[in-house]
Amino acid sequence: MLLVPCPNCGPRNSADLRYGGESHARPDPATASPLQWRGYLYLRDNPAGWLRETWYCRSGCRRWFTLERNTATNEFRDPPQPGDKRGSKA
Amino acid sequence: MTMSRLEVQPTEVIDRSTTLRFRWNGKRFSGFEGDTIASALAAAGEHVFSRSMKYHRPRGILTADYWDPNLLVQVGDDPNVRAGHRLLEAGMDVGAQNVWPSLHRDIKAANGLVSRFLTAGFYYKTFMRPQRLWPAYERVLATFAPGGKVDPDTPHRYHDKRYSHPDVVVAGAGPAGIEAALAAAAAGARVMLVEHEHAVGGHLRYAHPEPARAALAELRAALAASDVEVLTDSTVTGRYEDNWLGIVQRSHPVAVERLIKARAKVLVVAPGLIERPYVFAGNDRPGVITSVAARRLINLWGVKPGERAVVFTANADGDAAAADLERAGVEVAAVVDGRDGRRVSAAQGPPKALEAVVAGGTRTEADLLVVAAGWTAPTSLLNMAGDRPVYDPAAARFFPSDPPGNVLATGGLAGDGRLDELRAHGAATGRLAAQRAAAVAHRYQARTARALAVTGDEPAWAADERAPLRRDRHPELYRSDTHGMVDLSEDVGSKDLVAAAREGYDSVELAKRYTTATMGSAQGKLETVNTVAAIAEARGETIAQVGTTVWRPPYAPLTLGALAGRMFEPVRVSSIHPWHEANGVRTIQAGQWIRPDHYGDPAAEVRNVRTNVGIIDVTPLGKLDLRGPDIPKLLNLLYTNKWSKLAVGKVRYGMMCAEDGVVLDDGVTGRLGPEHYLMTTTSSGAAGVWEWVENWLQTERPDWRVHVTPVTTAYASINVAGPKSRELVSRVVDGVDLSPEAFAYMEVRTATVAGVAGCFMWRIGFTGELSFELHVPAGHGLHVWEALMEAGADLGVGPFGLEGQRIMRLEKGHFIVGQDTDGLTLAPSTGMSPLIKLDKEDFAGLPELAWAADRQLPLIVAIQPDDPEIVPEEAAQIVRGDTNEILGRITSARMSPTLGRAVCLGQVEPELAAGGTKLTVLLASGQRIGATVMDHHAHFDPAGERLRG
Amino acid sequence: MADPPIFESPVVRSYETAGSGDLMLTDISATTKWLVRASGSVGAVAARLGAPFGSSSAAAGGALVLGSRPGEWIVLGTADAVAEAVEGLEAVDGADFVSALDWTHGRALFRITGRSAPRMLEKVCSLDWSDPMTPDGAVASASVAKVTCDIARNDAGGTPSYLVFCDRSLGQYLFDALIDAGDEFGLVVGPAGG
Repeated sequence: MLLVPCPNCGPRNSADLRYGGESHARPDPATASPLQWRGYLYLRDNPAGWLRETWYCRSGCRRWFTLERNTATNEFRDPPQPGDKRGSKA
Repeated sequence: MTMSRLEVQPTEVIDRSTTLRFRWNGKRFSGFEGDTIASALAAAGEHVFSRSMKYHRPRGILTADYWDPNLLVQVGDDPNVRAGHRLLEAGMDVGAQNVWPSLHRDIKAANGLVSRFLTAGFYYKTFMRPQRLWPAYERVLATFAPGGKVDPDTPHRYHDKRYSHPDVVVAGAGPAGIEAALAAAAAGARVMLVEHEHAVGGHLRYAHPEPARAALAELRAALAASDVEVLTDSTVTGRYEDNWLGIVQRSHPVAVERLIKARAKVLVVAPGLIERPYVFAGNDRPGVITSVAARRLINLWGVKPGERAVVFTANADGDAAAADLERAGVEVAAVVDGRDGRRVSAAQGPPKALEAVVAGGTRTEADLLVVAAGWTAPTSLLNMAGDRPVYDPAAARFFPSDPPGNVLATGGLAGDGRLDELRAHGAATGRLAAQRAAAVAHRYQARTARALAVTGDEPAWAADERAPLRRDRHPELYRSDTHGMVDLSEDVGSKDLVAAAREGYDSVELAKRYTTATMGSAQGKLETVNTVAAIAEARGETIAQVGTTVWRPPYAPLTLGALAGRMFEPVRVSSIHPWHEANGVRTIQAGQWIRPDHYGDPAAEVRNVRTNVGIIDVTPLGKLDLRGPDIPKLLNLLYTNKWSKLAVGKVRYGMMCAEDGVVLDDGVTGRLGPEHYLMTTTSSGAAGVWEWVENWLQTERPDWRVHVTPVTTAYASINVAGPKSRELVSRVVDGVDLSPEAFAYMEVRTATVAGVAGCFMWRIGFTGELSFELHVPAGHGLHVWEALMEAGADLGVGPFGLEGQRIMRLEKGHFIVGQDTDGLTLAPSTGMSPLIKLDKEDFAGLPELAWAADRQLPLIVAIQPDDPEIVPEEAAQIVRGDTNEILGRITSARMSPTLGRAVCLGQVEPELAAGGTKLTVLLASGQRIGATVMDHHAHFDPAGERLRG
Repeated sequence: MADPPIFESPVVRSYETAGSGDLMLTDISATTKWLVRASGSVGAVAARLGAPFGSSSAAAGGALVLGSRPGEWIVLGTADAVAEAVEGLEAVDGADFVSALDWTHGRALFRITGRSAPRMLEKVCSLDWSDPMTPDGAVASASVAKVTCDIARNDAGGTPSYLVFCDRSLGQYLFDALIDAGDEFGLVVGPAGG
């Protein structure tokens, strides 16, 4: 089981977290075109390599955070600081 | 061939003073404490233990250990027990598997006569057509399927699970593994040493010469004096991400089996080597055994494996077996030396025995053929760590390639050497493991909030400076000049593999699946390399070119019980639950909640609510405590309607959507104070809505000042419903004016109820009746419930359950999220369009709902079957006339005790949504019934006069 | 009206209890417990309560303060001690936004004490219970027998002791799951307290 570096708790079993998937910025609902909005809802880059993604530490600190993981090797880059905002793609 | 017990052996593990009696195929047998089932039977002269899977050929001992494919037996109600491994117990009832009517008269052995037709892919090719006969094929084939009998009435046994966080796990307690464990522990590491067999020692256990005996005693003494946690009869079954290990412990004193989930900082892989069978004609005949099997039988259990033997040896272990045989009084009629290029070609005799061995054109009479043809490196755990071992033709086996730094190999897996060299390599590996584990431990501790502060910097990652072990030359011995069995578990021969390659299944992964070679009980431990060799031969390539299959978890099979462990099924109950149980409740499980469904007669409960007053325990209703100045902003974002003007003391209904516009949840939220609200959600949605809200607050609106706390179970929630509810509530509530003018529909008050301060009370109505919902601090929930029952006795108060509530809400046409809506139901389909405020600046799902506003969507409508007695099944389809064109479906249906007729909700295509539309409903029985769409969602009291009273 | 009602524990089954034992499980759900949350600049509240996330501290009045999450604390003890500890927190100087709520009825609370308590806990929880990783005073949240719990190590006279909080409605289930896990270590149930 993957060990996820929660920026608050420290390394935790991935079963302790909810995977939030690829980090996506929410388009402005006032101006978003259907194409942009549905891209936000449904389209993911799904790269084999470095991916900025969101996790929710549901059994631990109950904080959402983002970090970067290499999907090919499951390597994590240095954990970001808590409070890191979602939506800034790598 | 007969076997018999030898005189006492210095190395034996049996206690001859303790005789154990047991049954084998119904007959009485006995063995000694320390015997395996197989060694006891062998000592008693048994030499056929099973019939092979496909051809039902008689089979005897091959390897005399866990991997022996011929020793699967039934013990009592326990199928597929490995008789080469399972220790004998007094009173065991052991039987042969896969035989009918008996081991020695097996009718299915006729398969063997047609074996040339039962070739690779036989089942795939033969039982394909016609498709309508599949069920018949299945019935016939099932009786021919191998394996034991599963008794559905098997008593429940205690399996267990635990987690562990050792610094170093050593898989395999041979001399190198023990040295690794000792060295790591000496360096300060927490070490777990896991041994598949019943005792530590590896090959030293069955090695006769004296230096081995002394070394074993020395290692055991050192282990006993150390802090190493030793698990025998246990297996590291899998290695996963970040050294997450599955370890099955079969030797636990309390549990039948215990699954250990270990997060090891470093894994040392030291399983030793597994002796490989040799492929030739008759190689699966009883009497053909591996050299390790011969030595185990003689030295561990004092069993004489035969009277007259031929030894085929290509290495020192084979030579040692020959010496052991002679010492045990077995006549060694011939030694065929594989190092000289000589080969065994055939083992001959009647079906159940060995009579003669043919080698180099010479026929030698013998009842035992001992084969030492080479070794398989069980690299499984390395493969699971991502390593791709490489074949070395000079040594005739695979070696590790480049495992990750937290996985280290030692012992026979890493190379060859004298005992002292193997031990030294193990010790060096243990020291390296401890150093690297210290670095990982430092990192974990430094990053873990609750841990002790670390001192100093993270230790540097230690370089691997171990002196490598040498590789002994070994002839490549896979198949002789004849064909034979490659996979004895699955009855796959070398001819089958050649045929598969010819048919195009020439990649090893394809051939494996097509022929099922390596897929049986030995899981490749004995047959993988021979399989690869057969394919390489058929393709005219080398083993290195063909490559091997990837070893995947589990290393050794484990039971479903071990995987399931103890059953953890959390269930939630309200604080009123003891009352329900004492009063004839029929419960229903909804998610984790155990809820009152009814108390015997839900229709009577409904009538009582409609006439008098009823109380229902609605504690599971999701409740979130909201604090802070920015709550209106949050509510405006979460709900589709507007919240800025909700006054203190008021309650409002709201519907939440996901960002795709699909209905997510609904409920009411009340304003308790200027900056204090209570939000309710559906019972099933409580946890999800909380995470959803936290996500918005933490990631999209982190500057908003709102604190959200789940308080679902902090309050016991009781809905008091019915025309007499005001009278009942007034008898238990202090200091609140309950008159309709002072406390109107959709208002909330703080109250003291039956002496309990800090209760909330609001007037809402899911049942359509005048009703008061009380939220009571949970530690007084039972008290308040009992006070209501007592105070309302003369009013006819009675409890009602979920079923009664569901009937009443259906009479009122209220939809339930997840029952009447699904994962595609956009908010306007609920008929709640007036609550979707597209002029708001933002809310979850706004853009999709704005785009959906012009679209014609399916709608939720109230439906009544024309025949009032017929209650359609929920999910019954609404179709066009006599066709199967689906135009909607029934989402809820009940018999209404109030109206005396069936009432429904359904989703229909927009053109069918108008009141009065005639529908056709297709029942599960195939019957089509007529039904009519109603003008209003509410079948009962559409004006809502009762609940506003 | 009747007398003020007594607190009903989520543990409603009756057990044979013992006053002492090598491994003891006690239902102390009646203990007063509050949840304090601070956001924005949390420093002022943190300075007052102590107990950074992952640790615990004793408040002046005798309440125990657990740093249960970043910007969140659980305060427990006698009603008076807890009242003293949370008094005026919402208006503490320099605080940005603070809320405090009485969580006594929302959470079941059990205490597990004994030298074999870590071995019992590792049967139901994946945390590393070794001293360096979970020392006395440590606070964490994790799944215990599939229930999300707040956990605090709070040793008693040198003997490992753990406080385990869970949703009240799961209290009976968790209590039984802990008894089952402790059985092989000779667990006894202590008399319920507060």
